[in-house]
Amino acid sequence: MFNSKNFLFFIAVFIETIFNANGDLFNEELFIKPLPPAHLYTYFQFTTLVNDNLSSEHTYLAPRSLVEVLTRFQVDELHFTLTEGQWRHNHWGYPVLDAAPGAELYAWFSSDVENVDTQWKKLSSTLAGLFCASLNFIEDFNTITPQMALQPTGAIPQNPNITSQLRYASLPREIVCTENLTPWKKLLPCESSRGLSALLNSRMIHNTNYHSIGVHTRKVCSSSDCSVVSLEIKQTVALVYDSKIIRTTDWSFTKLFGQGLPGGCPLASSSKVYVDITTNDTQPFLLSPEPEKVLLSQRGGSETKLALYTIKPENKMTTIGAKYISKKDLVLMKLPPLYFNRYVLGYGKEFGGIVTELTNTFWSSIDVVVLQNAPWWLPIQLSSLRINGEASSEMVLARHYSPGRSRQKPYHLELLLRLPPKSATKITIDFEFVFLKWQEYPPDANHGFYVGSAIITANLPTARNYTSLPGTASLFESSINASKPWYPAVFRTNGVMVSLPTPDFSMPYNVICLACTVVALAFGPLHNICTKELVLKVVGSSVTLKQKIINLFKKKKE
Amino acid sequence: MGLLSDPEYGSVKWVRILKKVHRPLCFLCYAVALVWFVMLANRDFNNETYFSENALLPGLVTNEFNGEYAAKQYLTEFEQELEEKYYDTEKIPVPWLVAKMSQLHLEVYTHNYTLNYPLGQGQIYKGTNVYGILRAARTPSLEALVVSAPFRPLSSHQKSTAAGIALMLAFAEFARPQKYWAKDIIFLVTEHEQLGMQAWLEAYHGLQSDSETFYTTLGSFWKPGSFGLDLTNFFPGFDWLGSHKKCLNPGQLKARSGAIQAAINLEFHSPKIKYVEVKVEGLNGQLPNLDLVNLVHKLCVKSGIHHSYKNSYSWVRNRNKVDDWVNNIWTMVGMVSTQLAGVPNGNHGLFHRFGIEAVTLEGRDSSDGPAPRVHSLSAANFHRLGLALETVLRSLNNLLEAFHQSYFFYMLPATDRFVSIGQYMPSLCLMCAAMLLRALALWVGVQPTQERSSQAEDPVDSEAKEPGERPPERLSESSNQRVHNRKTIKEKHSDSESEIPGEQDVKEVVQSSDERVANSQTQLNFSMVNVGANYLLVHVLGYAAMNSPVLFTQLGAKYFSLPSEVSVYYGLCVTSAVLVVAAPALPRLLRRGALTHEELTLVNILVLIELSTLCLALGMHNFPLGLAVAALYTPVALLSGVVVRERGWISVWLQRAACAVLQPLGALTAAMCVYSVAVYGGAEGAAAAAGRGRDAAMQAVMFAVADSLIYGNWVFNVAASVLLPVWVVLWQIVCNSVEGPPPARR
Repeated sequence: MFNSKNFLFFIAVFIETIFNANGDLFNEELFIKPLPPAHLYTYFQFTTLVNDNLSSEHTYLAPRSLVEVLTRFQVDELHFTLTEGQWRHNHWGYPVLDAAPGAELYAWFSSDVENVDTQWKKLSSTLAGLFCASLNFIEDFNTITPQMALQPTGAIPQNPNITSQLRYASLPREIVCTENLTPWKKLLPCESSRGLSALLNSRMIHNTNYHSIGVHTRKVCSSSDCSVVSLEIKQTVALVYDSKIIRTTDWSFTKLFGQGLPGGCPLASSSKVYVDITTNDTQPFLLSPEPEKVLLSQRGGSETKLALYTIKPENKMTTIGAKYISKKDLVLMKLPPLYFNRYVLGYGKEFGGIVTELTNTFWSSIDVVVLQNAPWWLPIQLSSLRINGEASSEMVLARHYSPGRSRQKPYHLELLLRLPPKSATKITIDFEFVFLKWQEYPPDANHGFYVGSAIITANLPTARNYTSLPGTASLFESSINASKPWYPAVFRTNGVMVSLPTPDFSMPYNVICLACTVVALAFGPLHNICTKELVLKVVGSSVTLKQKIINLFKKKKE
Repeated sequence: MGLLSDPEYGSVKWVRILKKVHRPLCFLCYAVALVWFVMLANRDFNNETYFSENALLPGLVTNEFNGEYAAKQYLTEFEQELEEKYYDTEKIPVPWLVAKMSQLHLEVYTHNYTLNYPLGQGQIYKGTNVYGILRAARTPSLEALVVSAPFRPLSSHQKSTAAGIALMLAFAEFARPQKYWAKDIIFLVTEHEQLGMQAWLEAYHGLQSDSETFYTTLGSFWKPGSFGLDLTNFFPGFDWLGSHKKCLNPGQLKARSGAIQAAINLEFHSPKIKYVEVKVEGLNGQLPNLDLVNLVHKLCVKSGIHHSYKNSYSWVRNRNKVDDWVNNIWTMVGMVSTQLAGVPNGNHGLFHRFGIEAVTLEGRDSSDGPAPRVHSLSAANFHRLGLALETVLRSLNNLLEAFHQSYFFYMLPATDRFVSIGQYMPSLCLMCAAMLLRALALWVGVQPTQERSSQAEDPVDSEAKEPGERPPERLSESSNQRVHNRKTIKEKHSDSESEIPGEQDVKEVVQSSDERVANSQTQLNFSMVNVGANYLLVHVLGYAAMNSPVLFTQLGAKYFSLPSEVSVYYGLCVTSAVLVVAAPALPRLLRRGALTHEELTLVNILVLIELSTLCLALGMHNFPLGLAVAALYTPVALLSGVVVRERGWISVWLQRAACAVLQPLGALTAAMCVYSVAVYGGAEGAAAAAGRGRDAAMQAVMFAVADSLIYGNWVFNVAASVLLPVWVVLWQIVCNSVEGPPPARR
C-alpha cells in the first residue's frame, strides 16, 4: 500500500517535471473572504500558462478543445462567464472578477480578422456547444461593440481601432446549472479528481447565494520587451455563501463543499489557499488548522491580512475551517468607494424609464464609464437622457450613442462621467414599450423580458474593498502589496426586467370563430336569394290571427 | 344609420310600436336590471371560484413555520417599546424596527416622505416608512413580493396592528434562512396608514412630483405641467395651480428590488383573533386578481383559520337556500357600498393601480361586526397565522408570470362564489338601455313633426311671422345644409311613392320659390347653437366646480377663518344653490327668442345619452359606482321630460321634486342625515342627529376632495365634472316650461 502510494507520487512528480519542461504552468488558488455580517466569498482560480508555441494539434496542460477554438477563430482575448445571482457591491465590496447575471461573452479578435461579425457568430456557436450554454442565441441584435467601457487586459499589439475587433453580448435570461459546470471542469488538467477543483461539488455550489463560473483567456508577455506572447487560460469560480442559509457562521470545507480537500493537483506548480482574516479584528474567529503564514498586504491605503496554506499533492484529506469566538451580530459595514443600483421606473404599458444610480463615497472624484445596452424592443431615446434631472451635465466628459434598429441592432449608450466626490448621480433614460410580433414572445410562461446589466468601468483611486489582481499579473499572490496609482475595475449592475404588453393569445381563435359565424350568417341569405325564385304574392284582405295559425300548420305539412 | 337617413321610418311599424310602448318598456328594463342584480346572488346564477393559474400550486408544500415563540416575543417587546418611549407621540419606532430587521440580516432602509396638504393653510406632514428586503438567493432581484403592515400609534382610534408587525418579523426570521425563495420579499411597515403606503409605492415606481422626464398622470386627471392657462397671473392672491401639482412628495428610496408581483397586508391587533376578514376593495373600486383572493381564502381553510368576506362567513353554512341567498345579497351589497366611494379599505388598495395584486388580512374578534356564532369559534394563534402566511407566500413564490389569468372584474357573493363581469354587466346595461330607449323614442318623436310641418305649410308660415323669431341669417351654414339634404332625399322618396297626387307640385313650388325661407322655417324650432352653447356652459361650470375646493379653502381661511372642510362644504353648497336657482334661466339667457319644445327635447336626448354613457363608462371601471349612479338617476331621467305649459301642474312639480332630491351634494347630505337620524335619532333627538349627518357629509366631501388630490381617486372629479352638469341639464329641462309642439303634430 505504502509502496503503491509512493509510486503514484513518483509518477506524479515525474509527469510534472515533463510538463514543466514543456513550459506549461498550471496554478490553482482559492481565496476565501468573509463578508460580514452574514456572507462568505470563495473564489477559485485555475491558471494555465501556455509558454509553448500555440498549436491546435497538440497541447500539454491547456485544454485542447478551447485552444483549438481560440486558434481557429483567431481570438486574442476572450471572457466568458455564467452567473446565477447578483453580486451586491454595496454590501459585499468588490469581487475579484465581476460578472453579469446570466451568460456574458466578449472577445477581441486578432487584427488579421476582417469579418469580425461572422467569426463572432461562429465563436459563440462553438462555445455554446462546448459549455452547454445557450450562447447560440447571440445574434446581431444583441451584440454591441463597446467603445470605452472594455479594454483588453492582455498583451495585444497597439492598434488604434482595437475596439472594432471587440464584440460583447450578454444573455441575462440564461439559467446556469450543473450541465455547464461539468464541461467547465473537463477543461482543467486534473478535472475534478484531484486538486482544488475536487471541491467543486455541484450539489453544494448551486446551493449558494451567488455563483459564477468563468473562462478568461488572454495573451501575456513572456519576454521583457513583449515580443513573445503566450496564452493564459484562467478558469474561475466565485461563490457566495449565506451563513443564514447554511445555518451557521462557522465554516469549513466540509460544510461549504460537502467534502475535504484530497490534496493538490499533481500537475499544478502550486496549490494555495488564501483566507482573508482582516475581519478577525472585529469578528474574531479561529482558523483550523493554523495557517502556514500570515501575509500582510498594504495596498492603496488599505491593509489586508491573508492566511496562507500551501496544499501539497501528497497531502492527506485536509479541511480548512473557521470557528467564530464571539458572536457580534451588528457590524458596521464599510461602504466601497463606488456602488450602484439600477431599476425601472413607472408602471403601466406605455412608457417607462431606466435609472442607473452611481454613488461615490470617496473624497475625490472618480472617472467612470457607464455602458447601457438596451435590446431593440426597449427603445431608449437619447433626447430623454437626464443626469440628475438635467439634460446637459458637466459631469459627462464623453458620450457614445448608437441607436438600435428594430430586430437588427440593440441600443447602445456609453457615457464617460466624472463623479464628484461624495455624491450620488442618477442617470435616467426613458423608453417606450413596443409590441412584438406574435412569434417573438417566448412560448412558455415568462416572468417578463430581461434587460442586461449595465457595465461600469472605473479607475478607483483607492483599494478599499478591492480584491482584483493587478492588470498584468496572473496569480493571486501578485496582488499582495501591489499599490498602484489607481485600480481599474469593471463592474456589472443588476439587470432589470420589464413586462412588455402581451396580447391575448387566444384572440386569433376568437376572431376565427367570429369571422366564421359572420361568414355563415352572410352566406345563408345570399344562398337563399340566389337559389330561390321570387314570386309575387297577391295582397289580399288582412289575415286574421286564426288564419295565420292555420297557415303556419300548412307550411309545416308541406 | 338607417334610422338617421331613412325618412320613412316615421311610419315604420316598429317606430309606431316604440312610441306606444317605450315608457312601460323603459321601466320594465329598469326593474329587470334590479331583479337581475338580486338574482346574481343566488347560487344557481353565480359560479364557484377556481384556480386559473396552475403555477400557484396552492398548499402543496409542507409547512415549516416555527416562529410562534419569536412572534410572541416580538409582540411583547414591541408593545413594551411603544408604551415606554412612544406613549405620548404618534411617531413610528424607527430605531426599534431597524434594529430588529437588521438583526435578522435583512437589508433595512427607511424612507421619508412629505405631504403638502393641498386643502389647508400650507400644513406639511412628514412620515417615515421602514422596510427590509430579503434578497432571494441566486436571483438578480428581478421580482419581489411585499408583506406589509401599517403602523398605528397607541393613541390611534383604530385597532392596533402590533400583532401584524410581530407576525411579519417572526415570519421574516423564519423565511430568511430558507433557500427556496425565487423572489425577493420586502417587509414594509408604513406610517400614517394609506399615505405612507402611497408614498412608498410612488417612490418605488419613481414618480416624483417634479420629474419632467417621466410621463406620469398620477395626479388623477391632470398631467403635471400640461395645464396651459396660468391663472396666477390674473389672481395673484390665490394659489390656483396648487392643486394641479402633486401634493405628495414621495421622496427617494435607497434601495429596491424588482417588479412587485403581489402584496399581502396584515392588520392583526392580537394573535387571539377569532377570524380573518379578507379585504379586497381598492382605490377607485379596483380589485385584485381573483386567483389571489381565492388563494388566500383556500389557504386560510388549509391552515385552520376561520375567514370571512363581508356577510359571508366560512364557518356558517346555511342549509336553507333562501337564507343563503339573502346572505349573499347582503355580501354583494356590502361590496357595492365599499367600492362605491372608490376609497380603499386597507393599504392593499393602493397597490392595484400599479398593477400589483394585493389583499389585506384583517384579524377580527367578536366585537367587530355581527358575525354569528363567533363566540363558539376557537381563537387563532401566531402558529396558525404564520402557517397561513407561509403557505400564501410560498404559493406566490411559485408564480412563473405576473397574475394575468382568472378575473380582474368580479363580484363576490360569498367567500367561495363569484360573479364574473359577463354576468353582472347586463344589469347595468339594461338600465342604460332603458335610457337609450327613451332617447330613441324622443328622437323618433321629434322627426315626423318636421316632416309634416314642412308639408303642411300653414303652421310654419304663421310661426315664421311671429315677432321675435330669429332671422334666418343667424343660422349656421352646416345645419342649414343638413336640413336641405334631408329634405331633398325625402322628396325623392315621396316622388316614388306619390300617395296623393298634387302634393308633389305644391312642394316643388315651395322649394323653388323660396328655398332658403323654407329651409330656415324647418330649422326654426331647432337650433344646435343655442342647445350646444348651454350644454357646453353647464359642463364648464361643472369643471369649475371640480377645481373649486382649493379656492374655497383659501377664501374661507382668508375672509372667514374657517377650517377648510367647512369652507369647502359650504362653498360647494353655495355653488349648488346658485346653480339650482340660476341654471333654469341659462338656456333663456343664451338666446333671444322663446325656448322651443324641439330644442328642449334635443337637450333631453343628449342628456339621456350622456348619462347612460357615463354609467357604462363608470361601470367598466368601477361597477358598483356605475350601478349606483344608474340605479339612482335612471328613474328620474326616464320620468323627466320637456314640460309643456298646458300640462297639469301636479306631474310637473312631481318631476321637479324628484329631480331636486337627486342633486348630487343634496342627495349626499340627505342620505347622511337620514342615516344618522335612523341610527342616532332615538338617543340624541332628530335635530342633533341631522347635524351629525351634516358633519358626516362635510367629512365625506372633504375626504373625496383630498383623496382626489392625493391618491387620484376620481369619484369627486366625476361627480363634479360630469354628474353635476348632467343633473343641471335635467333640472333645466324640468324647470323650463315651453309651448307645446306645433298643432300639426297632434
